[in-house]
Amino acid sequence: MIITKEICNQLNDIELVQKVMTEIDYFSCIYERYEPKLLRYVKRITGVSNEEAEDILQEAFLKIWRNINSYDTDLKFSTWIYRIVHNETISYWRKQSSFGKDHQIDLDENFPEEFDSNSQPGDSNKNVLTHEILELLPLKYKTILVLKFLEGMDYDEISDILKIPPGTVATRINRAKKAFSAISEQMHISFFE
Amino acid sequence: MEKSRKIIEKIKAENIQPIPKWYFKVQNWLIWLAFALSILLGAAAFSVILFAIQQTDFDLISQFSDGGLSLFLALLPFFWIVTLLIFLLVAIFSIQKSKRGYKSTWSRLTTYSAAASILMGTLFFISGGAQWLENSFAKSVSLYQSIDEKKKIVWMQPDEGYLGGTIENVNGDSFLLKDFDGNTWAVSYQEAFIARVILLEQGEQIKLIGQKTGKSQFRADEIRPWGGPEHRKKMQERNQKPGSQP
Repeated sequence: MIITKEICNQLNDIELVQKVMTEIDYFSCIYERYEPKLLRYVKRITGVSNEEAEDILQEAFLKIWRNINSYDTDLKFSTWIYRIVHNETISYWRKQSSFGKDHQIDLDENFPEEFDSNSQPGDSNKNVLTHEILELLPLKYKTILVLKFLEGMDYDEISDILKIPPGTVATRINRAKKAFSAISEQMHISFFE
Repeated sequence: MEKSRKIIEKIKAENIQPIPKWYFKVQNWLIWLAFALSILLGAAAFSVILFAIQQTDFDLISQFSDGGLSLFLALLPFFWIVTLLIFLLVAIFSIQKSKRGYKSTWSRLTTYSAAASILMGTLFFISGGAQWLENSFAKSVSLYQSIDEKKKIVWMQPDEGYLGGTIENVNGDSFLLKDFDGNTWAVSYQEAFIARVILLEQGEQIKLIGQKTGKSQFRADEIRPWGGPEHRKKMQERNQKPGSQP
């Protein structure tokens, strides 16, 4: 059974989950709705290639299917799906690299060579610089900054995705921002005027 | 739609089924069951700790000539303290694994779990359950050193002025006391403070604070009930007698 985009668009997330329970083909609607955001998220927190990110996502969607009965409607579906993808991504990343959660790079030795220390806010490469700096942050800081500032999640959503208390989310964001600022200062780049 | 079709085809081809709903429900119930049981068992352990504190006369230990540190350590109900800590940890981890457990900080989860065990344990202790539990445990586990046995360590130190045992015979202002090693002591108590619940009758278990005055002689300055099940039984019998005051 082919589910058209028009049919998918008429259903909200909860309705889709209910449909999926009886007709698996509706799973394509969930995939199509979330794939672009999730693919971007996977790449942002791990920096893997598009191909690898797609592999991670495929595994994550199989997990979503297997665990679809555990979805609790008290939680936003988008949050639940991000949580599964996040966990899958982290476990893939840990398997693939020797980097652990506390991995930190020595700033003085690891500045990207192409970095222009005279960059100013508003430069066209600011977005690239942001990602360069994020790459230098420990994973937990990078993840929380991506969720908050690039994915636009609120504290409660981040708390549900990372399964940490909202207070811890706030603290971690503050620390991550400080770490981000410290790196950008060392690079003589100002993001916050 | 190509990528999504690929996943759906894979699911169909490999006949990958979603984990049934009951599995998650059972998992959730098990988590809450583990939490409830841990709180209850932690409460039981806490109640026995209270009972141990009440029974072991920790207040007297500092008056021992060596400062009483080794005695204090020997008297601590380690078994129950460790039991309480283990079940507290299980309770905290199980509640953290519940659906919304991650919303609370570890310190909050610890506070709530500890408060639940302490509250229930205190109620269990007040109701007399701790004593029953401790006695039953001591009877069924031979390796376990009961609180009563630990208590005897304190009250079998006549040189330090502490003596416990059973009254054998009361004669005017003295009585014979058989200590827990089977030795008989002649105890004088003319100026002793006697606790109100003391009956001073044959077969009564008591503890004395005073001074050793001879090889088998002891002068009591204070007489306290031994406590424990025997004393409790006697007090109940006494209260049930017509005309007795509570």
